[in-house]
Amino acid sequence: MHPATPPMADERAAHDHRTPFPRRGLIHRLVAAAIVLPLVFGTAACGGDEDDGPAAPNTPVELSVFWWGGEARAKLTEDALALYTSKHPNVTFKKTWQANQGYFDKLATLTASGDAPDIFQIDDNFLTEYASRNVTLDLTKYKDDKKLDVTKLPESLWQYGVVDGKLAGIAGGENTQGLVYNKTLLQKHNLPEPTTGMSWADFITWAENVSRTANVPGTMDPSADYKAFWVWLRQQGKDLYKGKELGFTADDVTKWFDLWKGARERGATPTADVIHEGNATDITKQLVVTGKAATSFVWANQLPELKKATKDDLGVVAYPGDPSAQWARASLYYSVARSSEHKDVAVDVLNFLVNDPEAGKILGTDRGLPSNLDVRKSVSEGVTDPAMKLSIDVETELATKFGQSPQVPLKGHSKIRAELIKAAEEVQYNRQSPSQSAGAFLEICKSAIA
Amino acid sequence: MALTTAPSSTPRATGPVRTPADQRGSGRIWQREGLAGYVFLSPWLIGLMAITAVPMLLSLYLSFTNYDILTPWSEIEWVGLANYERMFTSDASYWHAVQVTLSFALIAVPLKLAAALGVALLLNRAWRGVGLFRGLFYLPSLLGGSVALAIVWVSMFNRDGAFNSFLSLFGIEGKPWVNDPEWALETLMVLAIWQFGAPMVIFLAGLKQVPTELYEAASVDGAGKVRQFLSVTLPMLSPVIFFNLVLETINGFQGFTSAFVLSNGTGGPVDSTLMYTLNLYIKGFVDLEMGYASAMAWVFLLAIAVITIVLFSTGRFWVHYSDGEGR
Repeated sequence: MHPATPPMADERAAHDHRTPFPRRGLIHRLVAAAIVLPLVFGTAACGGDEDDGPAAPNTPVELSVFWWGGEARAKLTEDALALYTSKHPNVTFKKTWQANQGYFDKLATLTASGDAPDIFQIDDNFLTEYASRNVTLDLTKYKDDKKLDVTKLPESLWQYGVVDGKLAGIAGGENTQGLVYNKTLLQKHNLPEPTTGMSWADFITWAENVSRTANVPGTMDPSADYKAFWVWLRQQGKDLYKGKELGFTADDVTKWFDLWKGARERGATPTADVIHEGNATDITKQLVVTGKAATSFVWANQLPELKKATKDDLGVVAYPGDPSAQWARASLYYSVARSSEHKDVAVDVLNFLVNDPEAGKILGTDRGLPSNLDVRKSVSEGVTDPAMKLSIDVETELATKFGQSPQVPLKGHSKIRAELIKAAEEVQYNRQSPSQSAGAFLEICKSAIA
Repeated sequence: MALTTAPSSTPRATGPVRTPADQRGSGRIWQREGLAGYVFLSPWLIGLMAITAVPMLLSLYLSFTNYDILTPWSEIEWVGLANYERMFTSDASYWHAVQVTLSFALIAVPLKLAAALGVALLLNRAWRGVGLFRGLFYLPSLLGGSVALAIVWVSMFNRDGAFNSFLSLFGIEGKPWVNDPEWALETLMVLAIWQFGAPMVIFLAGLKQVPTELYEAASVDGAGKVRQFLSVTLPMLSPVIFFNLVLETINGFQGFTSAFVLSNGTGGPVDSTLMYTLNLYIKGFVDLEMGYASAMAWVFLLAIAVITIVLFSTGRFWVHYSDGEGR
């Protein structure tokens, strides 16, 4: 290596013309870099957007796939993807998965760095956020060409993936709201089981009776639970969202909080701190499995997972009130990144995961009931796990009573969910009255969806 | 900018404030050994630029935009000072988080330093096995901000946790400490105070530096233990106290992990543990308001800088450096 003579000479020259060691200049250059670099990155990120080269059948393709879930799901998904590779040897997968916690942080970061996975799992909390910012590929064209076949899916289920007229994702499974109860506990005390269709008032009376007889609070207080609130709203002829607006008023929230304030005062629920524990999204902290309440408000397909956390027998019915307020909800979606270089192949993989009978057999009901009705039928016939069987039976029974799906939640939904928990806890801890807390909650909701 | 200075033929003429010494100092950078130094430093310098300086400046830029992390850079909108305005005028949760963080730092930091100093004084003696105790007291801070420790804390301070079982031995009925909005932050403070090992070790090192002659002289003059502590130990230790105070204050303001774990990333129950950095994280990654979160980060940086400067300026009144003054 040469001694650094030439650059030094250059610097000398510069030195003669300008101020020595240009401090100011340096700062200016850094600021310029800070402003220019984003623009450069920005253009780079857009660059690869539209060119989707025709995928020749034998060119090797590697697709990145990202999902959340446990180890069991990882195993099943890897097996299904391996099956796809065995049918299409030119297509291989780069698989990444992790627990739910932190999943969306990572997905957002990957997207921001222009490295969004070709195929990723997403749910209705974030679907609108991603779709409205054009991160997800619009699948409408593929649906129309039958390259992504939705004909065997319940219409309301695939419609639940439509955001602003664009099909943003395909349902990876179906589930619905379910009231899970501790069967063993009720039998031990000769108590009746809750039933589908009982009114909220009857349910609270039932829970009060359980608290008194079994000495375990009869029910989780679901006032912080958006899905319970949502079903209840639909039973009042309202909804969480109507178009681009909120579908409820502060008055509705007040009534909902009042309902549960009454229940707490009658001893139908645990104390505020225990309710707070149950407000965690972590399934192992649901009060019905920690033994701190006889019932919890969950998703019906979570039953097998809940069962793993307790020795007691569990049962599941619809949420109280008219069950037609419940709907077939996409438990999660598979989406394709709009920036993917192999969109056609990625969509074909989606089609395979959702519609292929062999893939369906491998994936089972881990992500909810299979979206494809034919696959669902053959999978349900083969299920042996009793908890899984029960969850399928309930879903099948309720399917006959389901109402129409609501629209997919608005952008800002995850914020509203978090704020409902805070607002409900303000009331549970007796720090605010129901109407006070409801008023503040509504203001935050309005700004969250604005 | 460069144009105005270009016509001047000698570097000396560029500015009235530059002294010849300055000239020599800045010119030297480009001399042979200076350049070689920079070449050798370059891996680190490149790292600094790429990993620290550029991202920091980018975040400064982002703080004036509505960047939401998902939108491509080319579609970002410049919103001027809107993020800062919102922070100071209309975001109640922001001020709530400021309040939580301040009360955390104002209470936990002095108590932690007091605990560290107290235990350091106890351990500054030559008993048998004192090394073992030093190690044991240092252990919690090795585990430091670890997630595991916070999880243990949650299970210890539950309604049916170990701490309440301990209280019940004395017939005291406990509280659901971590799940009670009145007590959750206090539980975090206790966790922070308990991790006093690092400042304790620094205090111990400082105590070893105090010359024994001073104590001998003081006791000859008739000073008791308390008097010796106040007139010899504290002044001699004041630079170390100052060092620990600055460090721990900055640490205290940045408390994140334990609050994150305890509240499942929400700052609950009812925002009682919504520390500044946790709020910042929620704004950036959950609400997807990265522009706003960047603005929060810069205000945070400035606030810590101001607090540090204030600490330094008060230091003149109570920090004694034994060498330099006397000589």
